[in-house]
Amino acid sequence: MLPLALGARYGGSKTFAMARLLVVGFVVCTLVYICLSLYSRSVRRDKLETEWREGDTEGANIEEYVQKGLKDYDGSLRRKLTLGVYVVPFCIVSFIIYATNFM
Amino acid sequence: MGYIKWALMITFWVFVAAFFHYTLPQHDVARITDTYEKRIDFGENSLFWASADTGNATTTANRDVFFIQTRLNTEEVMVYRNEDTGWGWPPYFKFDTTNLQAEASDLRSVAETPQWVVIKHYGWRNEFMSIFPNAVSLRAVDSPDVRIIPWLNIVILLLFVAFVWAIWVRWRRFREARIDPVLEDAGDSIANTSDGVKQWFGSWRK
Repeated sequence: MLPLALGARYGGSKTFAMARLLVVGFVVCTLVYICLSLYSRSVRRDKLETEWREGDTEGANIEEYVQKGLKDYDGSLRRKLTLGVYVVPFCIVSFIIYATNFM
Repeated sequence: MGYIKWALMITFWVFVAAFFHYTLPQHDVARITDTYEKRIDFGENSLFWASADTGNATTTANRDVFFIQTRLNTEEVMVYRNEDTGWGWPPYFKFDTTNLQAEASDLRSVAETPQWVVIKHYGWRNEFMSIFPNAVSLRAVDSPDVRIIPWLNIVILLLFVAFVWAIWVRWRRFREARIDPVLEDAGDSIANTSDGVKQWFGSWRK
């Protein structure tokens, strides 16, 4: 947040403040998005492996079972919800702008 | 060593507390006595001023700043600055500075016929640095005894505590699993060695 803090200061850089916020925000959100995607996928993989070990899926080999499960996960709504990393901050900022200036 | 550790920890948490105290919104009940604008040449205190109205030049050496002067319901006086925070920090996204100044001027009152207002603001008043809290919004109230529950601050601070706690728990678990065993091993070998040394000295004493 330091770049934002210093940028907000009087006599800060000449670039558009809004562009700066967008760029910094986008970079931060992207980092969070990547970490969250990897983490969520690994959790999903662990769950599938446990499911396979606990039975009900005899016949399939564990690697095939997990791959199929992950493929289903890639197309799922749950996977798409990760995009909330971008959507939620955008909504919060929009609401704050409305609340501060127009409410 | 213990003292240094405590001193560092206390310093760190004092900074965190100061950060939140400066940045989070607070509410004052006050009576607006006057509004004015004044040319400010920013110096050592420039960190404690926000930005020019969004869209204006940001590289000028000085500018006019709106002020709102008030008497609080505690009988003390308080002067607020009224500046855009724009797209910067802290994230109030305040663009309506001039409108707020118009509202403030409209709600001016004298001691005999007070018009009380609740002023939401962040920042500190410090006479030694000439810094002022930034008024974010205001609303008229009927009586100076209005009760204000800072829900937003409660939520933000709870989230922050939860975040710190989550990191702390994970760090402690990591330390127990990975670092403590190693230190214990080292400690054991030091203990064994010192036993040996003791015995050696012991053999002298006999």
